[in-house]
Amino acid sequence: MRKFSTALGSAIGCLLVGSGMIASASATELTVWCWDPDFNVPAMQEAAARYNKLHPDVKITIDNIAQNDIKQKLQTQLLAKVTDGLPDIVLIQDDNAQRFLQAFPGAFEPLSDAIDMKKFAPYKVAAATFEGKSYSVPFDSGVTGLFYRTDYLEAAGYKPADLEDITWDQLIKIGTDVKAKTGHDFFDLDFSEAGVVRAMMQSAGKWFLTPDGQPDILDNAPLKAALDTYSKLWKAGIVKPVSGWSAYTGAFTSGEVAAVVSGAWMTGTIKANADQSGKWAIAPLPKLDGVDGATHYSNWGGSSWYVFSSAKEKATAIDFLNTVWANDVDFYQGILVKQGAISSLLAARDGDAYKAVDPFFGGAPVWENFAKWLGQVPAVDYGTFTQEVNSAIQEQLPAIAKGGSVDEALKAINDRVEQQVQ
Amino acid sequence: MIPAGKLANRALVHAILAAASFASIFPFYWMVVGATNTSADVIRGKTSFGANLIANIENLLAQVDVGRVFLNSAGLAVVGTVLTLLISSMAGYGFEMFRSHVREKVFALLLLLLSIPFAALMVPLFVMVSSAGLANTFIAVLLPSLASIFIIFYFRQATKAFPSELRDAARIDGLKEWQIFLYVYMPSMRSTYAAATIIVFMLSWNNFLWPLIVLQTPEHKTITLVISALTSAYTPDFGVILVATILATLPTLILFFVLQRQFVAGMLGSVK
Repeated sequence: MRKFSTALGSAIGCLLVGSGMIASASATELTVWCWDPDFNVPAMQEAAARYNKLHPDVKITIDNIAQNDIKQKLQTQLLAKVTDGLPDIVLIQDDNAQRFLQAFPGAFEPLSDAIDMKKFAPYKVAAATFEGKSYSVPFDSGVTGLFYRTDYLEAAGYKPADLEDITWDQLIKIGTDVKAKTGHDFFDLDFSEAGVVRAMMQSAGKWFLTPDGQPDILDNAPLKAALDTYSKLWKAGIVKPVSGWSAYTGAFTSGEVAAVVSGAWMTGTIKANADQSGKWAIAPLPKLDGVDGATHYSNWGGSSWYVFSSAKEKATAIDFLNTVWANDVDFYQGILVKQGAISSLLAARDGDAYKAVDPFFGGAPVWENFAKWLGQVPAVDYGTFTQEVNSAIQEQLPAIAKGGSVDEALKAINDRVEQQVQ
Repeated sequence: MIPAGKLANRALVHAILAAASFASIFPFYWMVVGATNTSADVIRGKTSFGANLIANIENLLAQVDVGRVFLNSAGLAVVGTVLTLLISSMAGYGFEMFRSHVREKVFALLLLLLSIPFAALMVPLFVMVSSAGLANTFIAVLLPSLASIFIIFYFRQATKAFPSELRDAARIDGLKEWQIFLYVYMPSMRSTYAAATIIVFMLSWNNFLWPLIVLQTPEHKTITLVISALTSAYTPDFGVILVATILATLPTLILFFVLQRQFVAGMLGSVK
């Protein structure tokens, strides 16, 4: 018994000591929440180091928290109206921003008064604009590209020029030839990821919304064309089905499939396989067939920095974002080289790093191309229910892949969304 | 000689058991092997040991204050387990031993409460905890779980096998009620406590959602929160993640092996 009470006593002691460890602040302290220890976190660390050279008295703490976990924390705390635990700056993915801005008016600080938003890619600013004000400092661009293996294409008799300025139908023809000649599938796709459908849709300047913010599914021509294209890809028999992110990236990085459509941030994952140097190239996205306003430019992912209006060090937070993230062109050269983060700050494109050619991609000016394309990505209103529509689309992907009717899938998506959004 | 039919039967049983044990052991094997390989090898599905263990450990140490995180998790789990067992076993004992005309109703209400999902309670609970000034403290993580309805239920069931003669004898010998609980009940329910220890420790060690909401600063992070953050990369480093996963698995595994005998006895509901 004595043993037990000693154990209990020391346990409670530990608890009290542990809980007493609440940080005490003296100098100015900024806290930042963001995800990805290899991408966003080191980019933010570099920005903090640069700001500290000018302002050594500001201590910037960067906390690595998973993206879904950040969403969960924000949702709960903003709903509970308890803002003490929130950081000064938080990273939010663009297609999620409107959900927070509209559900919690006043929670975020408008930044367009203090920071000139004309400096950034227009589609990034549009994603964070609500009631005339913009709330974010745009960070990385998810400008899309078609990454492909030049050696496989060559084996089927195609040169890089054959992949420039084409439509999806033409690409499917090329993919069929590659499959016939090399035996490699052209793409790999995962039913739990509708990113490629979204990217096709945005390339025609459209999202899931009518101009007044209502769901727009049944009469959405670019969405229908995107799903049609998705269906054709499977019908052509050039897609390897995969499950999960690691299997997805594994298929094209191991040379099993010939190509992938993705955001520019995929560059790092592909380049991690040094033995494939010189065998890759990047083309702009194919155009959707038969859709007005179709372009070769789109976006997949990408996120931006937001400041909480409840932040203790709001002024410092804004000054930090303005000084480094909205002005420091040199900073963007560094994170491009180290993290492969493509800036949304248009002036950064004139820096040296963006001019560099990359032998991995056959000596092409990869970054300059991406930067050129990102200025032309159609701006769309991501609205508040991207998540709901996205999962409704995912539910239909297996049926479409099996040859099911696209019109029926659209109807099912529409029913599902109406049921959830009402 | 064993008849052929019986032999076939036994072969079938062994085949099923072999498949089941392979299915239970393989994830552990995969975890250990993965921790010694590079991320690319893990994705490739390599099932043999690699030479990257040290590099993975160094990578993890560079990103995470492992000692601190481990201590946070361990502290929460140990304190949580001790207090939960004490409080919930008292309640279970009380429900079974003391008669009252409302006790079945109260107990039924408790069981009904089990059906409310935590997600529905989270926001009001968070408001409550922060208005008490407990946000971002370990106490806030522990408090909601100390009176565990499941463990109360489990102890009440186990107490049914506790002979009331023992209690009566103790009363005649002049022991007070709390003394009966401490000196007669607790020692004789050792295996029930052992089984409950494993269950509560595991729940507490693996607890994710509530610590995620309540704990705000890096110094307070627990191992589950850290693993979640590691997996969030656009290009996750699976070697590093699996090293962290081994660390997160070890304490529960060790505890289970130490208490295994009692755990089985406790699940069968024995009184010593």
